[in-house]
Amino acid sequence: MQRRGHGPRISAALGALLVALLALAAALGATANQSAAATAAADSTAITCGNRVSIGFAAPVTGPAGPLGQQMARWGRFAETRWNRTHRLDIRLVLGDTQLPDTAQAVRVAENLASNEQVLAVVGPAGSQEVQVSTAPFRRGGVANISGTATATTLTAGSRRGFFFRTVPNDAQQAARAVAYMRGAPLRARRVVVIDAQNSYSTGLADAVQRLLRRAGARVQRQSVNESTVTDFSSVVARIPNDTQVVYIPWQLAAKAQQFGEQLRASGRNATLFGGDGLYSPEDFKLPGSYVTAFPVALGHPTIRAYQRGPGRGSSDLFGLPSFVAVEIAARAVERACANGEATRAEVRGFINRTVIPRAQSLLGFRISFQQTVRPPLGPGDMRTPAQYIVYRISPNGQFVKVG
Amino acid sequence: MGSESDRPVLPEPDGPQVGVDEWVASAERLRDRPTGAAGVLRRAEQVVTPPIQLAIFAGLAALVPFWLGTGDLFTYGIFVLLYVLLGLGLNTIVGFAGLLDLGYVAFFGFGAYMYAILSSDHYGIHWPAIVTVPLVVVTTASLGLLLGIPSRRLLGDYLAIVTLFFGQAFVVFVNATNPVVAGTGLTGGPNGIADIDPLRFFGLEASTRTQQYYVLLVSAVLILTGLHFLSESRTGRALRSLREDPLAAGAIGIPVNRLKLLAFSIGAGIAGFTGCIFGTLLTAVTAGNFDIPILITIYAVVILGGFGSLSGVVLGSLVITVSFQFLAPENPQNNARVLFYTLIGIVIVLLVRSWWRVALVLAATVALGLVVQTIVEAVAPSWTGGPVVEGGRLGDVIEGWVVIPEGHPDFGSVAYVALVVAVLALTQLRRSRRIFALPAVAYLAAVVWETSFVLQPAVARWILFGALLVVLMNVRPQGLLGTPRVEIV
Amino acid sequence: MGLPLFSVFDTVRELGWTGAVELFRNGLALGSLYALIALGYTMVYGILKLLNFAHGDVYMVGAFIGFGVLNAFGGSPAPTIAILPLIVLMFVVAMLGAGVLGVVIERFAYRPLRGSPRLTLLITALGVSFFLQNSMLLLFGAQFRSYQSFQLGSDNPAAFEPGPLFEPVFTIAGVNFQRIQLVVLATSIALMVALTLLVAKTTLGKAIRATAFDHEAAAMMGIDVNRVIAATFFIGSVLAGAAGVMFGLMFSQINHFMGFYAGLKGFTAAVVGGIGSIPGAMLGGLLVGLVESYAQGYLGGQWSDIAVFAILIIVLLVRPTGLLGARAIQKV
Repeated sequence: MQRRGHGPRISAALGALLVALLALAAALGATANQSAAATAAADSTAITCGNRVSIGFAAPVTGPAGPLGQQMARWGRFAETRWNRTHRLDIRLVLGDTQLPDTAQAVRVAENLASNEQVLAVVGPAGSQEVQVSTAPFRRGGVANISGTATATTLTAGSRRGFFFRTVPNDAQQAARAVAYMRGAPLRARRVVVIDAQNSYSTGLADAVQRLLRRAGARVQRQSVNESTVTDFSSVVARIPNDTQVVYIPWQLAAKAQQFGEQLRASGRNATLFGGDGLYSPEDFKLPGSYVTAFPVALGHPTIRAYQRGPGRGSSDLFGLPSFVAVEIAARAVERACANGEATRAEVRGFINRTVIPRAQSLLGFRISFQQTVRPPLGPGDMRTPAQYIVYRISPNGQFVKVG
Repeated sequence: MGSESDRPVLPEPDGPQVGVDEWVASAERLRDRPTGAAGVLRRAEQVVTPPIQLAIFAGLAALVPFWLGTGDLFTYGIFVLLYVLLGLGLNTIVGFAGLLDLGYVAFFGFGAYMYAILSSDHYGIHWPAIVTVPLVVVTTASLGLLLGIPSRRLLGDYLAIVTLFFGQAFVVFVNATNPVVAGTGLTGGPNGIADIDPLRFFGLEASTRTQQYYVLLVSAVLILTGLHFLSESRTGRALRSLREDPLAAGAIGIPVNRLKLLAFSIGAGIAGFTGCIFGTLLTAVTAGNFDIPILITIYAVVILGGFGSLSGVVLGSLVITVSFQFLAPENPQNNARVLFYTLIGIVIVLLVRSWWRVALVLAATVALGLVVQTIVEAVAPSWTGGPVVEGGRLGDVIEGWVVIPEGHPDFGSVAYVALVVAVLALTQLRRSRRIFALPAVAYLAAVVWETSFVLQPAVARWILFGALLVVLMNVRPQGLLGTPRVEIV
Repeated sequence: MGLPLFSVFDTVRELGWTGAVELFRNGLALGSLYALIALGYTMVYGILKLLNFAHGDVYMVGAFIGFGVLNAFGGSPAPTIAILPLIVLMFVVAMLGAGVLGVVIERFAYRPLRGSPRLTLLITALGVSFFLQNSMLLLFGAQFRSYQSFQLGSDNPAAFEPGPLFEPVFTIAGVNFQRIQLVVLATSIALMVALTLLVAKTTLGKAIRATAFDHEAAAMMGIDVNRVIAATFFIGSVLAGAAGVMFGLMFSQINHFMGFYAGLKGFTAAVVGGIGSIPGAMLGGLLVGLVESYAQGYLGGQWSDIAVFAILIIVLLVRPTGLLGARAIQKV
């Protein structure tokens, strides 16, 4: 009885398979030429500027990177309100939540922003992996994006020329600064341990610093620990040789770095801790005698104080500051493109590429313009002035003192 | 599509039957016939058979790209279908065979990474999709087989832990271990593998969102058909008996171990296939795409839709994806606000049976709110009049109704704790007394929303999700379209 | 970063005896925490056959309660009352608070579902876990809170001198054993001994054992099953709360997510030692702690997690009932 039932069933199944594949082939063939046409259209579609234009803002507002994304969103909105107070053409931020580390959300946000015709430029996304996956959707939509936090050096290797820009110096620059300081007085480090935190940001920095130190002849031991899941670093500490001079920890969770440092000291090891800009967080990381590099910021600038009094509620959230600058750059470009009442995305891209913000107006403390050619460690999309990372030392009472 | 009714609806007899008491039999038929919404659904299921359901689904879905722009198509179309596919695979393991697999997302990741390694610039290998995809599916299915082998010795919860370890081990391997093979790290470490080739076969390429959507749709239809046939076959029946009681199934001669391996392989194969397509959608894969939050979403889809129900997976995916997007921080908070207040309304309707009582409770809530607002305004004005976050048109109405203090930042936390205590206390009250406490609790919920939840919508979403799981398991553990189970311990 | 297979032997040699003892000390301290958490899991599983995912979050709440008490008295480095009574108070309040929380969870989330299929219970436990974690996130925010226990009671906190908790008490093979590690070890052992005595010698313990064996028969013998189950949850959660405070004192940084992995490792420890067996949970906890410590020390962060998972999976495959567990007879 059963066997007789199988025959017609199998042919039905194969028939269905054949029909489905044919339907798929038809669908694919029919929609084959849409992509090229779509790009050309999006690039040169002119929208009327009117009184208000939209700028996309992609940040990881929720998820494990939520606190960082919210910092960026606060600075972004701060830029929005300040611009709208002093300019006739208002900007409106269209928020996209990229939920790092799931890059699928970044693609979703990129697709949404790119297909939103009103959006002329995008600020973000935050993570380097997110920039990688959003490149294709943004390119198809013809929209430029300016990131305030994506630091991977390969992003400006040349393939994103004219589309991707960033208002932070890249990992190669930070690594060079860190190594230069480590090798000089007073550290004169020749025995270093580099510990990455198993994420994209720290691995990039760790690789770069390790390479530069080894080239300079220092002895470098490389380790790796997952800063978010590991709670007890004592076994990591146990592997560090007693005669180590510097431990380089380009981590993002300052609290975990503090715990690591305490366990290091408790074990009797005196190595100096040296961190990246992820540890620039005086509330959480305050091990005396440690060093931290931070990207350049005009600390005394009145805008920063205004932020502290306003949305910052006391803290300066410096991690999100480059996003403010990015919004400013986008707004200026859009304003110039809208001079004749209409703007296209291609126009805005061009104006962003030719941005010049004089030193006095720049929150970064130096004149902002974008690199056009590949000149390591810079590439097209990096800021032209080789940004000098600042080195801070933590004093005995927990203060960050600028030493270089 | 594949959800079996557990009680056949017997046709009415057309004449007197021997040995049957007519009056008793008709009373039994009346009692057994499901009423209300569930009854309508069950009777509809008799008419709209699975093939028709599939046809309707496929037809509507095929028209979607004509309605939605690229951005919405990606969010609502592609994401929904992606989770349908993943849910179908998980449903095979957990729903059909009853094996709790908490490492399912690792199969998904394995498929994606393997495809990425074979068809990208990473090693410079660019094998065509017609070769890579079947290879990946077969390899992932074998991996599922391997994982299934220990499942023979491990009971339910132990299997859950072992599979969870396997899932975590995959993420750690791909992210941190990244062994150097043939000159480069195999999996690209935290940066993953980028520049993945799009799907290409017979000269056709799926590079636009519409094309990728159709690939996913056709795959979903095919897999749904295949699983339906599986479910209706002898193997499907054997799997169901395995799920209900493995010991009894083994005792009557069903090859329990082989079926477990089969379930794991099929589920893993489906996940591997979905992984390939996922890689081409994003053009880059990293470890973060295959971690616990994704696993939770897939489980939410299957739990909501009902274990063992194929149409449930489709429905679950639709509900979860659309509601998550609806509640995303990017949309105006009014979306979430409307949904939340509607939720309060639904809870009131479910707790209070008759319609006039529901109206009474709602009126009492509104009145209570106005009364409290007036009192507070008169007595301590600083405790009200605070700003309504992104209220829009509803803002004025809410401002006049809900007490939102200004300058008391801890109020939200205290109100939240009070709400949790109040809700727990409410469940302990007798049904007749509940109706009196309900307006106060409903108003408190509104206050908590405006002072606490709306400021951290993502966290509120997870809190409500957790509460929803607990309530769902208490009230309707079989999900929307599943069948109720009784476990004999 | 390649396969370190051969370099493992080099690392072992480099670290030598000092390293081995240091890793052993770390493993013991960490393992004591896992053992305490595992005890809670094993007791609840023994009596309800329920994998209480929310147990790790009870541990997290205990840590936060301890933090609250610490800050209520001025916090590190100079609290307003003496260190020893402060720590005792932290323990007592956190243990009671966690115990109450455990009882509440059982009463409202699990009791209505008694007799439901395992999957339903598991999903409910997951729901409670999400609810707890995110409630703490809502109330306290995402940033880490620090006990700052390194400087607690220190004479010279500015110079980063360790306080009495981190003072070395004695030294073996060049490795310092800090006071807090010994305190944690001693307290854990004391609690475990107390629990063993409770279960073996008291009436309540007998009732717990009876209920774990068969609910219906125990009820027929006149045991109030509901109360016994509530007591079990209370005891398990009390231990978790103690573990939470110990974590805070040893490692300082707490946040809402800390319960997830700790709970997972704790359950693994319970399973590895033999679910339902109290000495098994202790043994399992210490084993997991030592394996983790040595794997991290000898293999490094890239392979350590995988090694730990692999070892635990192998133990489970070779002895599914755990090291000290009884052979489970499945009733038909």
